[in-house]
Amino acid sequence: MTSTIRSSTSYRVRRQAATTRWVVRGLGLIGLALLVWRVVTVGLAESYPLSFWISQALNGLVLGGVYALVALGYTLVYGILLMINFAHGEVMMIGAFTGVFALQFFTALGWMSGPTTMVVLALLLIAAAGMLGSIVTGVTLERVAYRPLRGAPRLVPLISAIGASLFLQYSVLLVFGVSPRTYTRPPLLEGGFRVGDVFVPYTGVIIFVLSLLLMLALYLIVQRTKLGKAMRAVAEDKGTAALMGIDVDRVIVFTFILSAALAGAAGVMLGFHNTVVKFNSGFVPGLKAFTAAVLGGIGNIPGAMVGALLLGLIEAIGPSALGIPTEYKDIIAFSVLVIVLIFRPSGLLGEVVSEKKA
Amino acid sequence: MRNSRHFVLLVVLLLGLLAGCTAPAPATTEQQAPAAAPAAAQPAAAQPAGNQVVIAPGQPIRIGGSFALTGPIPDPGKDIRQAAEIAIDELNAAGGVEGFLFELVAEDGACSGDQGTVVGNKFAADPTIVAVTGGTCSGETIGLKPILLKARIPFVSPSATNPDVVSADCDVCNRVALSDALQGEVDADFVFNTLGLKKVAAMHDNSDYGKGLAEIFQNAFTKLGGEVSSFEGVQVGDTDFRAALAKIGANQPELVYFGGYSTEAALIAQQMRESAGLENAKFMSVDGAYTQQYLQAAGAAAEGTYMSFVAGDAQAEKLAAFTEAYVAKFGVEPSQLGPFHGQSHDSVIVIADAIKRTAQVDSAGNLVIDREALIKAIRATAGLEGITGTLTCDAMGECGAGGVQIFIVENGEFKQIAGFGLE
Repeated sequence: MTSTIRSSTSYRVRRQAATTRWVVRGLGLIGLALLVWRVVTVGLAESYPLSFWISQALNGLVLGGVYALVALGYTLVYGILLMINFAHGEVMMIGAFTGVFALQFFTALGWMSGPTTMVVLALLLIAAAGMLGSIVTGVTLERVAYRPLRGAPRLVPLISAIGASLFLQYSVLLVFGVSPRTYTRPPLLEGGFRVGDVFVPYTGVIIFVLSLLLMLALYLIVQRTKLGKAMRAVAEDKGTAALMGIDVDRVIVFTFILSAALAGAAGVMLGFHNTVVKFNSGFVPGLKAFTAAVLGGIGNIPGAMVGALLLGLIEAIGPSALGIPTEYKDIIAFSVLVIVLIFRPSGLLGEVVSEKKA
Repeated sequence: MRNSRHFVLLVVLLLGLLAGCTAPAPATTEQQAPAAAPAAAQPAAAQPAGNQVVIAPGQPIRIGGSFALTGPIPDPGKDIRQAAEIAIDELNAAGGVEGFLFELVAEDGACSGDQGTVVGNKFAADPTIVAVTGGTCSGETIGLKPILLKARIPFVSPSATNPDVVSADCDVCNRVALSDALQGEVDADFVFNTLGLKKVAAMHDNSDYGKGLAEIFQNAFTKLGGEVSSFEGVQVGDTDFRAALAKIGANQPELVYFGGYSTEAALIAQQMRESAGLENAKFMSVDGAYTQQYLQAAGAAAEGTYMSFVAGDAQAEKLAAFTEAYVAKFGVEPSQLGPFHGQSHDSVIVIADAIKRTAQVDSAGNLVIDREALIKAIRATAGLEGITGTLTCDAMGECGAGGVQIFIVENGEFKQIAGFGLE
């Protein structure tokens, strides 16, 4: 008797869940159809030249490259610790600050106005300084804010991360003040070149190429080195990895070093691209990169790259394609996130989250 | 172990509470009935009532200040605050009012409407605040406005230029800065007639100030017969404007006009050079961007860009004396930080002058300032000699003197090419 009741209830629940799913999917499809319709009508009405779309796409790719470097940090840490490091944007901001100080140092030394090789060397050292600044911050964060909470419920390190984010922002505000710092570009990075009607800034090209190279390097480290293998093992199962003789703490620190280095590089490159950095300039890019990581499937390395490039493109092209003012670009970016998650809750390239992780 | 942790937590919490208790409570020396209807001032015997501030001997006359110390324009905000301090020093050196000295209660209005509201509530809740100088930004001041109006505390803003900062229904609202209604029109006239450009794009930062000014410019420019090919908004704090600029560039305007503050203005000037269709377009921005910080941040891209400013009718001698005192106290030239120091100084002296005309010493030796009388006295300001000229407040609360000046950047410096004071 009881068993029949239970089975009939669960049947009803299952049927309701199925109905809800179809309603949600139906609404999503209708939304998508409206979107496509809007894009087509606006595209016909506005008649922008092709070069316009190409330059918007280039802007998007550059933006996406930066997002990707930061998003990888979220994804790496999530893959291993199953926590969102909400202070990651601030790790990037501190890298950018270290970079601007290194830049001032080399400018004072006269390197920035020297011969080309000197300038290139200085730029590389500035990038290295930025990455180092981020690495120190990232490792300290892990040691102080996350490691003591490793056994705690999942929400606890999350709160700690948000606290760390605010702590870092306002410490920088306190120490360096509220005025933005300027990245003064050397003449080498100033300007760009033209392809037909499309203008390509040098910094944009450098950012895109360098972020691709860094992503390749990361891929090789994770897939081809022993430490990378250890990282993958820890991501799979911490306990078993420890039993196999892997020093889990060391692997986690290494993960933080990798993700912070990428963020530091992103911070310095974004600094040279957009020329200013201030105490809160890591917050919004951090949020966007997190979105990109979720869009691509959090915990999945190629997913973070794809998600970030896609998000950058959507942000750059979206407003013109939909015929709405560019100030609403964030609405489009986050709407896309919602739509994608309705259809693929685990993100574009995300695997179905296993019982253990969920 | 568990218990000791709880104990530590408890101790920390208790310490926090203690710290909260020992935090300086406002050193009030008098009481007042803030809930009482201000119009029905019924002075009871020995008890101050209605909208009066009673200051005991030895206590200061407290003037609130809302300054944009954080937010998008921290340097100009700091300049305005320091200029107000210099004005207070001057007034005190001259003996204050009946032997009572002034004190500036500086708060951070952060150039935002939200924070303006917070500061406004703080001042409204403090019965010792006589009047307020500020806010720095228009949005911030529009946040302050309804609260101070309800609390019957008069304010004089040194730098909030949006037309809505003062209005016919607000008798506590005053400003020394000139209205953007003027600036936007002069700018449009300059671009259309002097530069001879017929097709421009207007941009703004979605602040009350920037958007308001861009709209005024757009209307004035269209009225003159010009074409505004795009009207695009960005966000304060954004650093990448390439998407918006690409959109604007598709229409090939001859000039981009930006209503906003220096950081965004500098970035737009820079990124315009990297946007198709805008490589040769001119750039013009407004008083919020008229700072050294703009020149520094934009670097080479600043060359040849235009800037307008709501200038006072600068009194060279007074300005020199003020600058000397300012440099002596703060070790920096005021113009290095921002453009509105003269207006800030003058906002304070407008308030002080009105206090001098209304304050009375009662039988107990207390200084009694009736805020209702003060509100009227500020509006009655006439012929007051300030750094920015002869100040006379009109019925709307516009007290400023001077006019709109237009500058071009040459060799990393602003050079005036048109407008007020240039014959």
